[in-house]
Amino acid sequence: MAVYKKTYRPYEGELTASWSRFLVIPRYAFEELHGKRFLTFFFLASFIYPLICALIIYVQHNTSALSLLGVQQGARNLISINVTFFMSLLGWQSVMALFLAAFIGPGLVSPDLANNALSLYLARPFSRAEYVIGKMSVLAILMSLMTWVPGLLCFGLQGYLEGWQWMRDNWRLASGTFFGAWVWILVLALLAMALSAWVKWKPAAGGLMFGVFFVASAFGGLINVVQRTHWGNLFNISNLIGLVWVQLFEGSNQTTNGAVFFRATQGEQLPMWTTWAALGLLAYICLYMLRRKIRGAEVVR
Amino acid sequence: MSDSVISFANVSRFYGEVLGINNVNLAIPAGITSLVGPNGSGKTTLMNLMTGLIRPTQGEIKVLGVSPDDPERLGKLVGYCAQFDACPKGLTGYQFIYWFLRMHGYTPAECDRKTATALERVSMTPAAQRPVGAYSKGMRQRIKLAQSIAHDPQVLVLDEPLNGLDPMARAETIALFREWGASGRHVIVSSHILHEVDQISDQVILLSQGYVVAEGEIKGVRDEVKEQPMQILVRCNDPGGLAARLFQQDHMVEAKITRDRKGLLLRTSDADSFYLLLNNVILEKGLDVESVAPADDDVNSVYQYLIGGEGAAV
Amino acid sequence: MHPVIELDGLEVRFGQRVILKRLTAALTGRAIGLLGPNGAGKSTLINALLGFHKPSAGTARILGRDVRTHAREVRSLIGYMPENDAYISTMTGVHMVRMMAELAGLPREHALERAHEAFFYVGLGEVRYRAIGTYSLGMKQAAKLAQAIAHGPKVLFLDEPTNGLDPPARTRMIQLIQEIRDRGDLHLLLSSHLLHDVEDCCDQVLILKDGNIAAFCNLEEERRANRRFLELETRGGNNGDFLDAVVKLGCETAPGVQGRIKLVMPEGLDVRQLYQIAAGQNVQIRRLNHKRDSLEDIFLKAMENANGRL
Repeated sequence: MAVYKKTYRPYEGELTASWSRFLVIPRYAFEELHGKRFLTFFFLASFIYPLICALIIYVQHNTSALSLLGVQQGARNLISINVTFFMSLLGWQSVMALFLAAFIGPGLVSPDLANNALSLYLARPFSRAEYVIGKMSVLAILMSLMTWVPGLLCFGLQGYLEGWQWMRDNWRLASGTFFGAWVWILVLALLAMALSAWVKWKPAAGGLMFGVFFVASAFGGLINVVQRTHWGNLFNISNLIGLVWVQLFEGSNQTTNGAVFFRATQGEQLPMWTTWAALGLLAYICLYMLRRKIRGAEVVR
Repeated sequence: MSDSVISFANVSRFYGEVLGINNVNLAIPAGITSLVGPNGSGKTTLMNLMTGLIRPTQGEIKVLGVSPDDPERLGKLVGYCAQFDACPKGLTGYQFIYWFLRMHGYTPAECDRKTATALERVSMTPAAQRPVGAYSKGMRQRIKLAQSIAHDPQVLVLDEPLNGLDPMARAETIALFREWGASGRHVIVSSHILHEVDQISDQVILLSQGYVVAEGEIKGVRDEVKEQPMQILVRCNDPGGLAARLFQQDHMVEAKITRDRKGLLLRTSDADSFYLLLNNVILEKGLDVESVAPADDDVNSVYQYLIGGEGAAV
Repeated sequence: MHPVIELDGLEVRFGQRVILKRLTAALTGRAIGLLGPNGAGKSTLINALLGFHKPSAGTARILGRDVRTHAREVRSLIGYMPENDAYISTMTGVHMVRMMAELAGLPREHALERAHEAFFYVGLGEVRYRAIGTYSLGMKQAAKLAQAIAHGPKVLFLDEPTNGLDPPARTRMIQLIQEIRDRGDLHLLLSSHLLHDVEDCCDQVLILKDGNIAAFCNLEEERRANRRFLELETRGGNNGDFLDAVVKLGCETAPGVQGRIKLVMPEGLDVRQLYQIAAGQNVQIRRLNHKRDSLEDIFLKAMENANGRL
């Protein structure tokens, strides 16, 4: 008979690839989020609008459906599938993404900071950058699925029904959706992470996600009034996003003024590079805030 | 008589249904008394009762004749150093102690003097002007201690006061306790470090699951545990031969040769006879003795016998 | 054969303040103790070895790997048990240890296996399926140790492992540490204020003071030295007679703690001769041991050392 003693043994097996380690974080985060029913429902509900859009596109090309709706044979457009259509889609989905980030964001970093678990993370062959990227990818993946993925799918559907030429002519819609969504995703993800790292109480962090927009725009408005200028608009984050989208979707001939929540202001506008600079500054501030908080060990003065 | 002890008479304390301590009777004299027991055994409850922070569900407590129902007098009599840090934000070490003393009613000048003395006692004078939030763990421990001794109390109740202190600070603080104990004050210390308890205490109280399992002077406590024969470790070059010779005696109960075959761990019901016998056996057999020591004459062993490993992680 | 930890003029600054002043040492023991008063730089040293602080000058090597240039590789060799609380309160024990093991590079299935193994080893049973936020202090410490060993490191950094533990848990933790040390393939760096624990577990000790190395000694050697100093506790007979007789043999005596007697035996004198006296006078020698420089004495001497420089 053999008796086995329960003892410590060293690990001799293989290790996973170094670059893929950061993926551990989203994997664990998704497992956790999966359990939260409200979130799952919300996520699924966010696909309703894109579904409606797809339906509209389909209906446009289905003559029998059109006749059902009482539109004459000649008139092609119930709703025109153009820049406004896609920008509205992006806009609505981006607002949903904001809500999602406000729900998920606060829980990303604060539990790790609450009880000093970061020193455990960083005592491993795992860097701060990997940690941040890993956490951000949770938001990035979910928000991508909510924003540009349905957008591009709708574009693809329209292109399929309209033909190759339409796709070639309207490629800006696709690229605008894709890049516009990513600008928003990056800004939102960084903001969510920074707030999660600095604000301990989750509801407060969630509230601040919204608050930042309103407070900043109010502040911007105040500057505009006091200084009689338009530079205050740089504080209005939704405005900035709107401007970026308009540029991406339409280039230099701008007909629209953004979508839904992300209205680009009318009238005298600031040069585009300032818009990009302002967004860049916001991202930099968030990264700086993260850098301060995500450390293995606190430096005592 | 009752004015020189801290007395607990049939004291019980429950938190709703949860047991704090049950039916405790104690009369703690002056000197250093250690409270020993696993986490959750009632040590903090006992301390909180002594300082009047909570009231007993049943029974009566008197601290040097003063009842906790008289917080004015009790507050002057007792100094308390809690286990967890609790300092108002933003205060410096100096302010923390100074304002505490002002609440006692001393004049500002007196408070200033007493604060300086207390800080000096714990060697925190240079760091006193910095905010407590910036202190290291050891420094926070020392400022807590300073606050508890600042008003010169007769009774010091200290919950794990050496936690986080480096060896020198430990030695200094222990010296401080010895001084206070020797001057006739009551110093109640709770600790997990049993060999320190052995070194510094005059009395010990063992608690387990809300009951007092044993109390009294350390040497005396061991003798009371009569069911267990004395355990002695003899390290020599021929433990087997020694054991054979000893087994011829009636009072030998058990003998075990240690792993490295250079020692004998034995139990005897009559330690005095054993030692006298040992003298002769050593000479008879020409043994080379390396060391002789009672293996269970300390708090650790008493703890093992009476409380055992029930506190181990589950 | 690399030393376990090699310090090579290591200097660490926080802004203008120099915390570690060009430390140089080669630590080779199975279990190395790290001692020093608060503020001496122990935590800073550990943090620097982990790569949390960048050295401003010099470097350190762990098992031959440079912490400046190969920080990632170094960290894959290390298991760290911090002094402060370190856990994620919403995760269960197994979940957290598993995730930490995966972050250290273990594949998924192996990580789960080893997480459970680690929990068995530290003595946590069913508790591992509960959220760590609900654990008692002893359990949290055990879980901290579990996450430190789950990925099979070569060097273990333990910072105050017995902090806050009650006596049975302390004993268990010390036993675990001794078991780990005795295995031979896992080196330990134990930082603690409790000299007793360090004495029980370590064979080499590094003592820091004010950012310098105040002492570096080999406890094994210390233990083997000095057979001439004894400590006795007697009972019975006329104590004065015993002492007189002993002095007549050529010993120097001095009173010790707790009523004991400290003896210095002259060359050529055997312990048996003391027993002869005891037998003759019907005196019990209740306690006898060779008193070598305990770690406490070494530590205090190191602290007194004027500028603390080795």
